[in-house]
Amino acid sequence: MMLLPCPWCGPRNVTEFRYGGRAVERPDPGTTSPERWRRYLHLQKNPLGWDTENWYHSAGCRRYFAVQRHTGTNEVRAGEAST
Amino acid sequence: MARSPIAVVDGHVRHGWEISARAAAAELTLRDESPLAKVVVRGPFAGSVRSRLGVPFGRIIRTEIPDQGPVLVVGAGPGEWLVLGPVGTGGGLVVALEKLLSDTGEFVSVVDITHGRALVRLHGSAARQVLAKVTGIDLGDDATPDGSALRTSVARIVTDLVRDDRDGAVSYLLHCERSSGQFLFDQLVDAGAEFGLDVTGFDTGPGTVADGRGPR
Repeated sequence: MMLLPCPWCGPRNVTEFRYGGRAVERPDPGTTSPERWRRYLHLQKNPLGWDTENWYHSAGCRRYFAVQRHTGTNEVRAGEAST
Repeated sequence: MARSPIAVVDGHVRHGWEISARAAAAELTLRDESPLAKVVVRGPFAGSVRSRLGVPFGRIIRTEIPDQGPVLVVGAGPGEWLVLGPVGTGGGLVVALEKLLSDTGEFVSVVDITHGRALVRLHGSAARQVLAKVTGIDLGDDATPDGSALRTSVARIVTDLVRDDRDGAVSYLLHCERSSGQFLFDQLVDAGAEFGLDVTGFDTGPGTVADGRGPR
């Protein structure tokens, strides 16, 4: 079982959450190039090791937050606060 | 006539709702409290809404709303409060709460969700053991003392779980989407069978809100 450290609700079973994708910076759609926008939308890195991800606590506080997860071992630690 | 999402045994009409006249003698009971008025208030996590309702996320308080009588206010989520009032007071509560929060200067929404949700009370000393079978939450006194509120998954249903001990016994309110109400109820009946759980009627046992039965 994976426990995710929700900043609002405390540690909860991963089944209460929905994966929100890697926490990557979103380019400004008004000024970015089509090429960069396409990369942001469709090309995902899949690194082995520590990565920062957004998760959505659908069965709890209904907020997004970021955690750091080791994609090889599923070890999780608190990440940067997400907006 | 309004109907609870949970099937009523031995029902008759009172307070404009079809309610159960059943009175169980068991120490461990499950009671459908869906007829109670339910209003959801949303606003900033920390601000005037929180101070006027008098309760933060994760706690409950019994208080009075001007002209509406006694209510139970639940800090259901960050920036989200659930107000439970006597039967039939939903519309009045919305007006009173909007008035109460009108000059905060904050963006506030107040919605009557009485008919969109199910509310049940699991009451009795074995309530903890019953719940432990269907949820992963730490139900001990340190993590979830009397008066605490949280939202989690109960029997795979997204549920507001409120610990509200009554008459000296452990007691929980469970609040979920209307369409999941019967399922959650059935799951709790099944989980409680080994502890002698019985279903009891709305007019029996300790009331969630004082005087909460509405006019007879």
